[in-house]
Order: sequence, then structure tokens, then C-alpha cells
Amino acid sequence: MNAYNVNLTNCDIEPIHILGQIQSHGFLVAVNSETHIITYISENIHVYIRDEGKNYLGKSLSELEEKLNLDTLESELTISQLITVRNYANGLEAINPFLLKLNSQPYFMIVTSSGDNKILEFEPAAADVNIDVQQTIGRSISEILSVKKLDAMLQKAATEIKRIIGYGRIMVYKFGEDGHGEVVAEAKEDFLAPFMGLHYPASDIPKQARELYKINLTRIIADVNSINSAIITDKLKNIPLDLTHSCLRAVSPIHIQYLKNMGVESSFSISLLAHGELWGLIACHNYSPKFINYKARDAAKLLGQILSSALEYRQGEEDSEKFTYLNQGVNQLIEHLEKETNINEALFRDNISIKDINSATGAVLVFENKITRIGDTPNEEQIEEIVEWLKINMSDSVYYTHRFPQIFSASKIYSQIGSGILACMLSRELGEFIIWFKPEQIQTLTWAGNPEKPVEQSENGLLTLSPRKSFDGWTDIVKNTSEKWNRAEIAAVVNLREHVIYVITRKANEIRLLNEKLKHAYEELDTFSFTVSHDLRTPLSSIKTYSELLITNNKSLDDNARKVLDRIKVCADRMDLLIKEILKYSMIGKADVQTAPIDMTHLINEIKEDVIVGLQPKDLEFHIGDTPDIQGDPVMINQVFTNLINNAVKYSAKSTPSVVNINGVKLDKETIYTISDNGVGIDDRYYKLVFELFKRMDNVKDFEGTGVGLAIVKRIIEKHHARVWFESKLGMGTTFYLSFVNS
Amino acid sequence: MVNNTDLFFVEDDIDFAFIMENAVQELKNEVSIQIVQNGRESLDILTQMAIENFKPKLILLDLNLPGLSGIDLLKEIRDLPYFRYMPIVLFSTSANPKDIKAALEFGANAYVTKPSGYLNLVICLQSIYDFWFVQHSTLD
Repeated sequence: MNAYNVNLTNCDIEPIHILGQIQSHGFLVAVNSETHIITYISENIHVYIRDEGKNYLGKSLSELEEKLNLDTLESELTISQLITVRNYANGLEAINPFLLKLNSQPYFMIVTSSGDNKILEFEPAAADVNIDVQQTIGRSISEILSVKKLDAMLQKAATEIKRIIGYGRIMVYKFGEDGHGEVVAEAKEDFLAPFMGLHYPASDIPKQARELYKINLTRIIADVNSINSAIITDKLKNIPLDLTHSCLRAVSPIHIQYLKNMGVESSFSISLLAHGELWGLIACHNYSPKFINYKARDAAKLLGQILSSALEYRQGEEDSEKFTYLNQGVNQLIEHLEKETNINEALFRDNISIKDINSATGAVLVFENKITRIGDTPNEEQIEEIVEWLKINMSDSVYYTHRFPQIFSASKIYSQIGSGILACMLSRELGEFIIWFKPEQIQTLTWAGNPEKPVEQSENGLLTLSPRKSFDGWTDIVKNTSEKWNRAEIAAVVNLREHVIYVITRKANEIRLLNEKLKHAYEELDTFSFTVSHDLRTPLSSIKTYSELLITNNKSLDDNARKVLDRIKVCADRMDLLIKEILKYSMIGKADVQTAPIDMTHLINEIKEDVIVGLQPKDLEFHIGDTPDIQGDPVMINQVFTNLINNAVKYSAKSTPSVVNINGVKLDKETIYTISDNGVGIDDRYYKLVFELFKRMDNVKDFEGTGVGLAIVKRIIEKHHARVWFESKLGMGTTFYLSFVNS
Repeated sequence: MVNNTDLFFVEDDIDFAFIMENAVQELKNEVSIQIVQNGRESLDILTQMAIENFKPKLILLDLNLPGLSGIDLLKEIRDLPYFRYMPIVLFSTSANPKDIKAALEFGANAYVTKPSGYLNLVICLQSIYDFWFVQHSTLD
């Protein structure tokens, strides 16, 4: 072994199934399946035949058989005949074990396949314990299965197995996801120190050993101190024999050392499988050499298989109990979701919320740009960080971890609250999630010895690989982890997500439909107001014209009649103006904004002239400051400024002098125009009404106006994605602000 | 029947028709006006005029007529060879550029927006008379 190359992964590389050695409590012969020519033989055969095993390599099996003092009992067949005959029966398993007598002692012959070879293994049939398999097993099984709880069932199994095979210590060993083991049940002699609850590092049982545990469901190491026997073969075919299915297979020296360090002299293990994977082991340790025969091992194997299927079933049952409980919560939430259109309110009720569908201590809904928290959660800023992280890193619709701070290091700050997260994605694009948090659980793992196996310096000064010697409890503190999320919790979240998504989709559809209706209604209204205003103007114009006609053609009318006819004319004019304004307003709704650069100096001066001509102010000071150019629809922008300037001049007409100021300032991102006057002002209370159609304030009754102008301004400004607002003081004046985005 | 129509006016609004009849009386010169209320009927009359080899001095067409619109009617009249060079003026409340464009494109000689008020109307008619009856020259 290279001195610089010693590490525990070596344990994973050791080719233990082709070691070419067997344990010496029995012997092994391998023959070619067709010819029955001996291909491999264990050296310890000489104990039985007083001859060297190598002398029989390449010879036929019958030659060896002659040398062995064999009695096949009632069958009266030779071994060669036996394995040939049995070949045609139900496979090799069916014949195992075959009882025979060797030197007048009862022996079992176990036949297995290995490539082209058949392996014949002989081991004593007499054992340290004699078991009436059928009776014992039957009783044990009903004992074990009578227990409801998984933990209790395992404990029962340990006790029963201890009773059957009588080892000093029986441990049920459960493997975690990371491969490390934990003792979850134990039955032992009173004088032994308990191992219950101890953890063993994953490297204690290397990967290929785990694979073998899945194939050979039991494994015996009769005596760690016995000397193994080598398997020899002809030099020509120097390929090691594959001992995968062998029951005498020798154990890796590292494992032997491991057991020795533990004080164990004999060990027996039974594999526990669930869903085809190694769930755990029943490890039986004895503190003196101990051998149990094939039948007893087979009984234990059966027990292990029954326990395995019970495990699968019980685990499933416990999961489904938990699942049912959590699902009740989910179902309640779903009920709320069906009644309530507001997702936020449906998921956060006083009596039940998203926090109640799993073991989380805090939960948060990030939805429609709103963060709703319940229980212990990180703060909003931290949640936003998590959302950003999830948006990038979440590959599926549900993500969970019990060690978030180790994955997303920014979360270490709040590891106390959120070491475990379970996230469910509603929309990646919108960054909408439901996230549950579990607190940090500073786990105290008690290892059976320091899990970092030390490398030892041997007497010759080289580093050698050695399993640890100390099995004293060694405590490890694991931070930044929470309790794990179990399958039932995840299933509940998947279920809830489906329904939330459904409600969101349904809501989106409703909004879309409503939107279409609104659009339709809006279009109709637009057409309506356009047609109506147009059609209204014709008869109106006739009314006006008739009254004029009446005045013109009837010189004999008295003054009062003339006055009445004049009033009719004025009212008709006023109504005509109103209709024209509505027409303008509805035209803006239809028109597209056709943006172009606008020469503001020219525009404002032109409007100023028009307004002065129109209103004929008596005493006006009109100041034009800077007039930076802007982008916009020239016709519409003209309407905006005309309306505002017209208002400024109109509503300040009673001040002496009336003062109107116009100024523009070009900033980084926007250009702001101010139009201010020293007129009557606008009452604060009406701030919101000012831009509404047909709303006129009570202090401007004496001024002509329709209440449409500012509504037009607002509509145009909105179409330009610009902003308009004002400041005003009653009797002091008003300043309007217009902000246009610079292109 | 001897036709002596100077101004042939197609107008469906009886109010405006009535007002027009009055307003024409206010002109300094005597003008005879014939007002027809729909396009189909006016086409029949005009066709008959062509047969009788008679032309009014000016045709005024309202734009928004039921059935045949003013523009449709304009096209139909222009299709009568006898009225190819006849002065035709569109007379409408609409000042919509689209309408004006259509009228000019289909051969109207002018487009006049109906003024608001009786006095304005009289002024407008006087100027129409001054131009189309006095100043304007056309082909036969």
C-alpha cells in the first residue's frame, strides 16, 4: 500500500468478493458446470482428505469424492449425480441445503453458481443452537407483526431474533440518506453497554458491501480469529473465483479488524430491504466465536424478509396517516380557495393558514407583489433574496431542503428560523412562491467513535489503513440543519399548489373576460357618444337658427319676447359648446398618439395669441420663461396647453393685474412645465374631482366653462404616459405641473 | 312645367330646409330654390332636367342623407354627362377632413361647412351667390 495513498475510500475499492479466501469452518470445491472437472478448491480440504487440494485441480469431481468419507444418506447418489439431477429440478436454490455425512458428522452441502462454475460448499450441520425452524419462526412472526408502531415492531424483531439465535447483542441498524447508520432497536445481554441511538459513519459499511447485502440476505462471520483458507486454482486459469453467492466467503481484513476493535468475535447480519433498497441491517454480535447452521440462517433470512415487507407496509401506513392528517388542512384551505377569490385571504384565515399543513414554524406567500408572512419567517428583504435565488435555482415546481444555509450561504443569518425551506412555485416569471420555514435544529449526533477513521502508523513505520479502535461515544454537533421534510408534507404541498394554480388561472380567465366586456363597453360608449353628439348638434343648430329667424323676420316683437329668444340662442350655443367638447373628449379616446418633436416656443406663443384674442383680458401680465422642446402628439399637446393657458387667463381675469407664468425645466429623465396664475384657485377638497368630466367648482360659476377641459388634459396626458398635477390656494392662484418623459 | 330653379338643394332635415327657404329670401338678389329631401328623388328630377335641357345655377348637397349619401349622389350626378361640369357644392355640418377629401375627390367643386345661426347662414348664402352665381365661370 502506498504510504501517501491511504484513505478510507480504499475501503470502497477493496474487491472483497474475489478475495479467493473462505472462512475455515467449512470447505469449498468448484467444478465446471458441464464437465464436473474441479476448477477451484480450498486449501483446507486436506483436513478432510489428508492430501493436498492442488492434486485434484483439473481432475473430475468423482475422484475427489472417492477420497472423502461421504454418505449421501437416503439418496444413494454420488455428489456428481446429485448436482446433475438437481440441475433439472427447480434450480439450485431448491436443493439447498443438502444434508449428508462427512466422516460420520452431519454436514450441509450448499450449491451455488458462479459463472461457468458450480460452487459446492460444505459446512457443519450441527450448530451452537438448534432451532425448530417452523415452530419458532411462526411464533416470532406473529409476535413481531402484532405491533402497530414501526419503532416498536423493530424492537420486537430484535428481541425475537435474540431469542432464536442467542447472540450477545442484536441491533437494528437503519441507514440514513447519506449512508450513515443509526441504531434504532437493540436487544442485548444486560452486562453489555447499550448502543441504542448511536450513529455509525457511512464508511463503516462500504458501498460494495451494501450491494452484497442486497444479494446475500444473511451473512455469518463465525470466528474473527480463525485463519482463512485460500482458494487455489490451476495456474493457467488464474482468474479469481467470484464468491458473490458463497456463504463461506471470507471477510475483508479491514472488517475483521473493525469487529476485533469492537471486541466482537462473531457476527451475523440480516439485510432489511424496502422498495428494493437496503433500508438497514439486523446486526448480531457475539463476544465469543459462534456458528449457526444454514437452516437457522435461512430461518433468520425469512424473518428478515417478512420484516422487510412489513417495513414497507408500515412505513407506507404511517406516511399515509400523517398524509391524511395534513391533507385535512390542505382540504380546508382548498375549500377556502374555492369560495374566496382573494388568494391571500383564502390562505391566511384565523383558524387555519398555510402554516398548518406541515410541521413548518413559519410560512410566507409572495403573490401579486405582496409578501404575507405568518409565524417565524425571515424579514421581507431576506424573503426577496430567497425569491431571487429560487427563481434561478428551482428546477421543479417544488423544492425542499433541510440544510438551506449550507446551500444558500446568505441564509446563514437567519438559520435559526429557516434552516429548512420548502418552496412551491406559483410563477417563476412573476417571482410568486409559497415558502415554508423550519427552524434550525442543532443536532447532536452521538457517533460510535470518531467517524473520521484514523490512519494508523504500524510498527514498520508505514501508514496502514485501519478501522478505528475507539467506539466510545463521540459527540458531533451539526449546525445549519432542520428536521427533514417528509414525503407526506411534500405531497400535501404538491396538492395545495395544484389548487392554488387552478384558482389563479380561473381568476385570470375571469379578469380576461371582464376585460373583454369592458373593452367592448368602452368601444360602444365611444361610438355612442360620438354619434349622439353629432346627431344632437343638428336639431340644436335648428333651435338656435329658428330663434334668430324669428327675431330677424318679426320686427314687431316686444322686448321681452326678444329677450326670451336671445336666451334660447344662448342656451343653444352653450349646449353646442358642451357637445363639441364631449366630441373632442371622445375623439381623444379613439385617436392614436402620433409622437413627434414639438417646438414649444412656437406652440406656446401661438396659444397665447389665440387665448388673448378669445378672452380679451383687460389687464394681463403673461410671462414665458424657458420652453424646452418635448416629444408628443402635436395636436393633442396643443389641446393640453390651450386648455391650461386658457384656464389660467380665464380664472385670473378678476385679479389686477392678472399674472400668468409659463416655464419649462428639462431634467435628466423628464421635462416639467409649470403654468401658474394668480386667479381664484381650487379648493383642496375637490382635488380629486378637478380632472373629472363635467365637474366644475362652485367658485367658478361666474366663469364660462364646460367642465371638460381638464378631463381632456388628463386623458391626453395619460395617453402620453406623462403626469399632471397641481398646487393651489383659494383666492391666491393655481399652478399646474406637467411632466413629460424625455425620449 | 317650366323650370326656373336657380339653386337645387338636397337636404333631408326639414328644419334646415325651412330655414334655407327663409334665408334665401334675405338675399339681395332674387333666387329661386328647389329643395328635395332624398337622393333618389333628386336624381329623378335631375335626369328629367337633363332631358328638358335645363340646368340650375348651382347644386347644393347635404352630406348625411338617408339612403344615398351626399357623396353617392355626387358620383351619380357626375355620371350624368349633362351635369359633368355643373357646379356642385357640398354643404354639411361636418368639418371632418375625411368627408372634405372624399367630396373633392369625387368631383365636388367646393365644400362649405354649414354655419351656425340664421344670420351667419344668410351671410354664407350671400357669399355663395356672389361667387357661384356672379363670379364663377363654367363649361356647358
